[in-house]
Amino acid sequence: MMQFKLFFRKEMLEMGRSYKWLWVPLVFLMLGVMQPVMTRFMPEILKSAGNMPKGMTITIAPPSGAEVLAQTLGQYSSIGILILVLSVMTMISGERQSGVSQMIFAKPVSYVSYAAAKWASMLSLVTASFALGYGGAWYYTVQIIGAVEAGAVVKAGLFYLLWLWFAGALTLLVSSLLDPAPGIAFVSLGAALLLSMASGWLPRYTVYSPGSLPQISAQWLEPAGEAKGAVGAALLCLACIFIFFAAAVYRIKLRYSKG
Amino acid sequence: MDAMNTGIPWSLIAPLIGLQLILAVIGLISLYKAEATRGPKWLWVIIIVCGNILGSVAYFVIGRKDAS
Repeated sequence: MMQFKLFFRKEMLEMGRSYKWLWVPLVFLMLGVMQPVMTRFMPEILKSAGNMPKGMTITIAPPSGAEVLAQTLGQYSSIGILILVLSVMTMISGERQSGVSQMIFAKPVSYVSYAAAKWASMLSLVTASFALGYGGAWYYTVQIIGAVEAGAVVKAGLFYLLWLWFAGALTLLVSSLLDPAPGIAFVSLGAALLLSMASGWLPRYTVYSPGSLPQISAQWLEPAGEAKGAVGAALLCLACIFIFFAAAVYRIKLRYSKG
Repeated sequence: MDAMNTGIPWSLIAPLIGLQLILAVIGLISLYKAEATRGPKWLWVIIIVCGNILGSVAYFVIGRKDAS
């Protein structure tokens, strides 16, 4: 426990030093705020884009607040996941390459607490960033588009947060396996994308897949939203995060236990 | 001038612009303090200033060499 605290503080310090605690939440906040603002001004933007034939009118039904929030979550599914993967991908592999982890494991240090500190700091960065961004989106949506039912918003947010946790855990696992940063980004982004696409194509076989979590959270936002298999998917996702953690611990142990 | 005529309420867009400025300024400060970057520093200045969100993100992800 002592070691975990020490490592955790070190991870947090390092994330602060590399400005991650500044730019990741900021980018998430901008992503969240942008969607309601863009939606609100879509008619004006189209009008001033100008290459429309005279007399042509486009009527866009003003979307409801819940729809806008669902679109915001869609933004996080693409750019948000990308930012997340890019910001945590070198957390394990970077220390391996620079020799820091060799130095750490020269001493009798618990592999579990080392990895747990990485996991905990990654999860707190993701949680804080998403909470800030989603909160911003919610605030703007209520201000300029329309009220949304609070319960649905919170539920959708929590399920979406689970999906981001899953993506982060996956990235850290890949980071413990591979060396080159572009490779880590490619593999973990590809796996996350495949999972979420698979639940779009084969909904029958992926009811409990973590990849269906984004859809589940979008479903919560629909009027009278009832999401299928939500609890199962959430539990399986948590189990996956734990398995990824255990696998990464095992991998780190294999690499350094021989000395 | 079209933008003026359509009456875009700047009070709504100002926070977005502000956030973007903050992000760019943080990027520039980090760049100024950094001892070495991947690629020439003046290039990163241009990228951060001109390439709004993505430019700053690209700098933080690719340009920074983590001091270790």
